[in-house]
Amino acid sequence: MAEPILKVRGLTVDFQTNDGVVRAVKGIDLDVRPGETVAIVGESGSGKSQSMMAMMGLLASNGRAGGSAKYREQELIGLSDRKLNKVRGAKITMIFQEPMTSLDPLYRIGKQIAEPLIHHGGYSKAKARPRVLELLKLVGIPDPERRIDAYPHELSGGQRQRVMIAMALANDPDILIADEPTTALDVTIQAQILTLLAELQNKLHMAIVFITHDLGIVRRFADRVYVMRSGEVVEKGATETVFTAPSHPYTKMLLAAEPTGHKAPPPAGAPILLEGKNVEVNFQIGGGFLAGPPVYLRAVDHISIALRRGQTVGIVGESGSGKSTLGRALLKLLPSEGAIRFETHDISKADRAQMRPLRKELQLVFQDPFGSLSPRMTVGQIITEGLLVHEPSLSGKERDRRAVEALREVGLDPVMRNRYPHEFSGGQRQRIAIARAMILKPKVVVLDEPTSALDRSVQKQIVDLLRDLQKKHDLSYIFISHDLAVMRAMADYIIVMQRGRIVEEGQTKQIFDDPKDIYTQTLMAAAIDQTRFRETA
Amino acid sequence: MTDVHIPAATPAAPIEGQVTGRSPWQDAWLRLRRNRAAVASAVVLAFLAFAGFVGPYLTPHSYDQIYPQYVRVPASLEAYPKEDTIVPEFQSALERARVIVGDIALDGSTISAPISDDDAIDERIVRYVDRSDLFDNARIEDLSADGKSAVMLADVQRVHFYFGTDRNGRDLLARILIGLRISLAIGLLASFMALVLGVTYGAVAGYFGGRIDNVMMRVVDIMYSLPFIFFVILLVVFFGRNFVLIFIAIGCTEWLDMSRIVRGQTLTIKRQEYVQAAEALGVGSAGILKRHIIPNLLGPVVVFVTLLVPKAILLESLLSFLGLGVQEPLTSLGLLISEGAASMRGATWLLLYPAVTLTVLLFALNFLGDGLRDALDPKDR
Repeated sequence: MAEPILKVRGLTVDFQTNDGVVRAVKGIDLDVRPGETVAIVGESGSGKSQSMMAMMGLLASNGRAGGSAKYREQELIGLSDRKLNKVRGAKITMIFQEPMTSLDPLYRIGKQIAEPLIHHGGYSKAKARPRVLELLKLVGIPDPERRIDAYPHELSGGQRQRVMIAMALANDPDILIADEPTTALDVTIQAQILTLLAELQNKLHMAIVFITHDLGIVRRFADRVYVMRSGEVVEKGATETVFTAPSHPYTKMLLAAEPTGHKAPPPAGAPILLEGKNVEVNFQIGGGFLAGPPVYLRAVDHISIALRRGQTVGIVGESGSGKSTLGRALLKLLPSEGAIRFETHDISKADRAQMRPLRKELQLVFQDPFGSLSPRMTVGQIITEGLLVHEPSLSGKERDRRAVEALREVGLDPVMRNRYPHEFSGGQRQRIAIARAMILKPKVVVLDEPTSALDRSVQKQIVDLLRDLQKKHDLSYIFISHDLAVMRAMADYIIVMQRGRIVEEGQTKQIFDDPKDIYTQTLMAAAIDQTRFRETA
Repeated sequence: MTDVHIPAATPAAPIEGQVTGRSPWQDAWLRLRRNRAAVASAVVLAFLAFAGFVGPYLTPHSYDQIYPQYVRVPASLEAYPKEDTIVPEFQSALERARVIVGDIALDGSTISAPISDDDAIDERIVRYVDRSDLFDNARIEDLSADGKSAVMLADVQRVHFYFGTDRNGRDLLARILIGLRISLAIGLLASFMALVLGVTYGAVAGYFGGRIDNVMMRVVDIMYSLPFIFFVILLVVFFGRNFVLIFIAIGCTEWLDMSRIVRGQTLTIKRQEYVQAAEALGVGSAGILKRHIIPNLLGPVVVFVTLLVPKAILLESLLSFLGLGVQEPLTSLGLLISEGAASMRGATWLLLYPAVTLTVLLFALNFLGDGLRDALDPKDR
């Protein structure tokens, strides 16, 4: 077996916070050998990113690294920035999760890729350009001669991630650290990027350290796996061994965390609660005083949808397909054309004041549990806000009782109601957001990617909670998601959207087992595909 | 997210019990307390505020009391009149009374000298002594039987001018304290006015958006294009010079900046999901503004206010310097500096002390503002 090029021994990371010192990484050991792919798996907060950041000297100002990390006999921990710069960006490079923000919007991409070449590789500006073109070709950017002078905003998310990879590859690194490189991308793009990484690795013979929470990718991609939990490595080994015979209970739990179960469709005669006919949403872009005529973008294009009592209609689609816009238009949170009916009310033309009494029945749960809770209100205030509007006669005591009830219903300890949202984890926050919707005892709830920002194991709990609540209160859900595994467990009827149109709809089983449309087929293939991106060594 | 923030709920705790969390404000407070420069500035500010509001009652001299004999005396820890001037002064007063003077004795606050004359001493000669500003309560004691010799006594009035006096003979310390009070009051009141006006205006414009926003912001643009000094002169011409007018004038111009900042903040906050969530709950515009938008934009606003206070103080100084500010005998730090600058050559203390006070005040306010900005920076959270 080859000698490791990166040897990490007893790496620790401490953060100085208001509550004293918090140890985020508690002494981990890690080896990376030339040309292999190592995956570090763990849920958010397990310290997987922080350990790599510590090695690269990229910790936040209140962080401190300890222990040892040796790259070819050179100690990286505690190295001065100047010496570290000879290694990072040249021999060890990194790509990040968010391709939208990791490129500088003010510089052309050619210039950004040339920067590490000029800085580390000793290239001149003129010499760097052909190399940049070569790199752009390597990462599969179409038409590189033209794209080299593009600004980041002119590229799609997938292309930006390719540019990031090109930057990382500029100086023929030994090790590429990929920190959740595909999490922010749509499933079909995700597959393309992973294939690209696998190809590049074969071609350039570099080692990849792959940080992710997605076990599906790990299985298809990595040679060896380290499983991390709260700052410790709980299990390590060859990918196949870890997946087929996990030894640590946490690994077992992670592997079993795929949401399971199905939802039975409602009885055939269930009444239609919410119905949209030919719903259309247009966004105005530009226009106004001295700005010329506006341009309209049709985000939702003549969509008809019917939701029966007790039913869950799933809306699937990639980002930009208009699925969230449709969900909001149905609740009249966005101006739209077409007819929308709720029970016996025609709400197509209802304004804010007319909608107010109906809001109690029509609720919404958002994707981001960090953004959807007001940071300056306590949990109790957040979940009882709807009661202030819809049941203003309630006394403070009565409201508090209802809050306690609602928190218990979503599985949170009501003692927590005087705390602030930032003191809760992602899963707990999503439960708070659900409690806020449920306290009004609604009939229809639009769930806009309620599990996308959560870890797998937490996702499963939230899916179970949502299904329990549905059964208990006979709720109807519109469930918006790009995650097909969750969709299969939640929905009994699925609508597939692309560019604002419905491309296919039908019962869940039918869509999953026998997709008719080509787009649905690619979507299914990208998500459920078990083929490996590369052969394990 | 790490789970370090979530202490496990104690199972024994009663369900109806209350566990109070730490709000973002409390977090910011903790961070601020660790910033030494900001804490020191807060202490200095508290001291200056105390000095400004209570100090004028504690000083021995009133800010408008004139000591004609002590015009432009330099700052000194010693009492005035100086010891070495008292005896010659007494001597010359008695010489003017044309009496023969013996040894002059200075004992604490009384000065005495045996006097004698060829004729009987006229009691009215005490006037010669009283006429001098250094002495009062002059009296004649131990008059001999023939009335030809006696002892002349007088009280020496000792006064302290730690910061010296100005060219009218008024105590500079008392004037600085009253000036501090006026400057702080104008700074705070003008900032408060800018805060209330700017936050309401900006939040309303930003939240409602569209045409309302357009019209409201164009009004702001028009107000911006009015030159400040011109605006103040207009106000002074119409309403006369007045303390209230100054902070209204400053508040009226400063709220424009505030409203722009608040509008910008509101535009970003309005797109936050918690605002959309409140809309989905059916909360009305007033409720959203009150419960969601304003509390969440207070962070940057608080920082801006701490930087606005020094700005208002400087503006007031400018106005006073130009003669449009507060009126004599009231004064402000700006006015004191302007007077000091005029007599800089002969009397440096007249410029030095007010300038140092203003500088310390502004330093403290700016440091505190910086500290607040760091403490409220959401990136650090």
